[in-house]
Amino acid sequence: MLDLKHLIYFENLLDEANNELVAKAVSDGDLALGYNCYYIPETLLNLPGCFSTRLRAPHCVSTDIANYYMTVHNCPYVRSILERAIEGGYNYLTALFGAEACSSMERMEEHFDLIHPVKNDAFFTTIIDAPLKCDNAALNYYKKELNDKVLAPLAERGVDTSEAALKAAIEDHNEVSRIIMEIGDLRKLPNPPITGYEFHVIQLVSEVCPHRLILPYLKETLDEVKARAPEPEFPFRARLVLCGSEVDDPEFTKLIETCGAMVVADRYCFGSFPGREQIVIEDGETAFDAICRHYLQTNTCPRFMPGEKIDQRTELLKNLVEEFHADGIVLENMKFCEFWSYEKVLQAHVQTNELGIPTCQIEKDYALTGAGQLRTRFQAFVEGLEIKQIESAAAERRA
Amino acid sequence: MNAILKNALGICKKVTDPCIDFIDKKLEKFDPVWQAEHGTGGLRSRYPDDGSGIPRYREWRGVRDTFQDYVAWLRNVGYMGAMAAKSPVHVVKGIWEYRWMGSFLGSFQFVDRIFEGYRGRELDIANIHGNAIVRILTLRIGLILANDRRLGGGPMSDFIIGLDETVPPLFTAGFPTLNAEPMQTMPEFVVCDVDQNLDPYYIDVAESYGLAPDVCSRCSAETGVALDDAFPVFGKLVLSTNQPCNASEATSMFQRRRFHQWGIEDYPFVFAMQHNEQNGHDYTREELKQAIAKIEEVYNVKYDWNALFKAAANMNHQNEIELEKWDIFATPYSPLSGISESLYKLVEWALVNGHDAYFNKVDDKVIQIMRQAVDDKYLPYKGKTRHRAFLWGPSAMYYTDFPTWTQNCWGLTIVLNMDSTMGHNHIDTEDPEKALTDLALFSEKGVMRHHAVGGWDNVDAVWAWAKRLNCDMVICNDNVACKGMNGVHGMLEERARELGFHFMFLPHDLEDSRTISRQEMRSAVNKFMSVVMGEEPLDPTLVEFDDSKAW
Repeated sequence: MLDLKHLIYFENLLDEANNELVAKAVSDGDLALGYNCYYIPETLLNLPGCFSTRLRAPHCVSTDIANYYMTVHNCPYVRSILERAIEGGYNYLTALFGAEACSSMERMEEHFDLIHPVKNDAFFTTIIDAPLKCDNAALNYYKKELNDKVLAPLAERGVDTSEAALKAAIEDHNEVSRIIMEIGDLRKLPNPPITGYEFHVIQLVSEVCPHRLILPYLKETLDEVKARAPEPEFPFRARLVLCGSEVDDPEFTKLIETCGAMVVADRYCFGSFPGREQIVIEDGETAFDAICRHYLQTNTCPRFMPGEKIDQRTELLKNLVEEFHADGIVLENMKFCEFWSYEKVLQAHVQTNELGIPTCQIEKDYALTGAGQLRTRFQAFVEGLEIKQIESAAAERRA
Repeated sequence: MNAILKNALGICKKVTDPCIDFIDKKLEKFDPVWQAEHGTGGLRSRYPDDGSGIPRYREWRGVRDTFQDYVAWLRNVGYMGAMAAKSPVHVVKGIWEYRWMGSFLGSFQFVDRIFEGYRGRELDIANIHGNAIVRILTLRIGLILANDRRLGGGPMSDFIIGLDETVPPLFTAGFPTLNAEPMQTMPEFVVCDVDQNLDPYYIDVAESYGLAPDVCSRCSAETGVALDDAFPVFGKLVLSTNQPCNASEATSMFQRRRFHQWGIEDYPFVFAMQHNEQNGHDYTREELKQAIAKIEEVYNVKYDWNALFKAAANMNHQNEIELEKWDIFATPYSPLSGISESLYKLVEWALVNGHDAYFNKVDDKVIQIMRQAVDDKYLPYKGKTRHRAFLWGPSAMYYTDFPTWTQNCWGLTIVLNMDSTMGHNHIDTEDPEKALTDLALFSEKGVMRHHAVGGWDNVDAVWAWAKRLNCDMVICNDNVACKGMNGVHGMLEERARELGFHFMFLPHDLEDSRTISRQEMRSAVNKFMSVVMGEEPLDPTLVEFDDSKAW
């Protein structure tokens, strides 16, 4: 396939948090609002004069100072973010909106307040309590928390948080999501005109860059991908769904794909499942209500406890496998991530033993270390899938 | 009549006391505390050097204390015998069926171990507490086994509400026709304190299933119990919870599958994580209402507020005494401290939670002894306390007998453990609406949660506690798998330096004693006390010893 016109530009944007487009928006006077977790709806941060940017710590290989504060026995993603903050990598931020979704994340976000690593006088941090259920009580709690800890502080700083502004933010979200999903849906084709790596890069830039600045590039890329001629033959030996915790380094997807399996669906933190669904304002709802409901309902974080949410996670994976014609699932968890460690094991059991979908479980670091071992695991898994394909083809012939 | 009896006792004492003093003097060389003082041995001298932790003979504490301790021991035997006598078939089946039941046989050795070196009023209170703990545990184990469907069931099998062990059970008092029993307490939570070798088995089960070894070992062990199908089976509903933290939530997902297999429904009863804020309190209150409604629906019963008020009054009484105890803890005269305080408080709060008035009687008795101690300016542990420490420590402190050991070895008194500061607000006993609000606040401040989650302020409160109790030292248990507390490591060190406390981290892996052994934990204290504090041990036989194979 021909290279995508903006791919290298996108890759460069992912090289640092304060990338060219982020810096441009800040110099235009926009407030850069950071967040880490899906519990903070990016839509609420894309109000007039603001933009959302999901925090990454690209190329972070040493977390020495963060280790002092949080020990080495903690999630490497949160340590990397804290380290980058201490290094001065987020001085452009006006706010960090945190969520007590997991204790590691919450502790890291607290440090933004305790040790003041962001050298920016206007900077502030709030942390919402993130509900573990999806019923009305939980939704009301979620709304109160988002109102008090996200909208109210923004309004205090003169940001327009009116219904009209929120409706515009929903339209913006829907536009970006429509483009991303259109590109992503092409991965369902038998021979897709896009790789998992390329999609990962596109999805990430849509999360870390100001929407108004990245949107033209995304639109152009959509047109380009639609018209792009795929390889004469599907160049991969298998199709996989990648599922798990934080994956914000597209090199990880590339690693899987160099082992012969295309990543056809991305169900992980920073992925498009969930994240790029359309927000619909239902009858009688305000735009704020719709945003809160949408983010609570679509959220498939493994910390949700009710049976119906556990079933939702299982169904989502199963449906992705079916819709994207995947041969198997790679289940990953960031080292020290308790939720995903449990979810990985549970889903491996359910998907493999109860639904008959092959799975491969791995544990990874934030920085792409241990690539050699991971490659061996992926290669073995791909070979296993191939053998299955050969055996089932032979069985069909015999039949 | 009383006056006559008192007089007679007084005369008796006049005769017996000199005799007892004479015998004590003659036999003092057998007292390990005396031996340590005189360099002829110590508390570890009566143990063989084979790691088993089984002493060759009972501790000689002087005539009065040895006799008192032996009577308390016999009382524990009596409680156990009563449990077995009540439903012998179920108990035998339980021992045959459940690996964890076998570990309870170590209880006698456990109680002896945790009160080692105690004398006088410390021992009096410790044994009152020890008896209360054994009594309630045997009653509850007996009830569970007698109604366990796996063992044949019983009359209460369908009338028990299963609770996650960290759900404070007070609110269930409003269902007087039902019993609320914690699911994990017997197979995992309490028994791991008795037997350090049990939970590693369940942890291995979970890890061999694929669970990462870096998750909290308590939750990993619970997962192992579920995978091993070792939960007792009773009730129609289990209330799972997010208390106290992440791994606890996550393990519920495994456990619910096992409960479902046995036809038991699960319902997540969740609490606000940020439990210092009004939004959080409102949410927990709403959750509490929903949990009550769920129980009403499943068991087809109505909530009885008067029954709740009765139990709440017990709890209020308990907390009133608790507040008075804290004032006494701040003085040098408290004969209650260490494991005697923290283990009793844990059981009284987390398991009893106002349901059993017997514990009010125990509290009344103990506070009398404490008040008298203050009046008498009684110095516990023969006045050998060198440092007063506030401990931030969960269950690894029990199977290691940690506070007892620090006291005996280094004269380091654990004045209070953070878990003992759990929910202590007054609960309204007249108005259901007010009671709900109070209960929500009370329940949010649960075990391992009050000072561990909900923001840095809750952890930072440790210094205020230490100051209030006149402690010069803070010991923070450093659970290698606790992400939340690992997340404030640096801040704790900085605050200790800023505020001038002696401060140490005590490494452990909660319920996996293989990762960090008891001796490694003790060595961390030894190094701190000898290198940083420059002190000599009170009892050198306790500095280093092998108890790796012990319960």
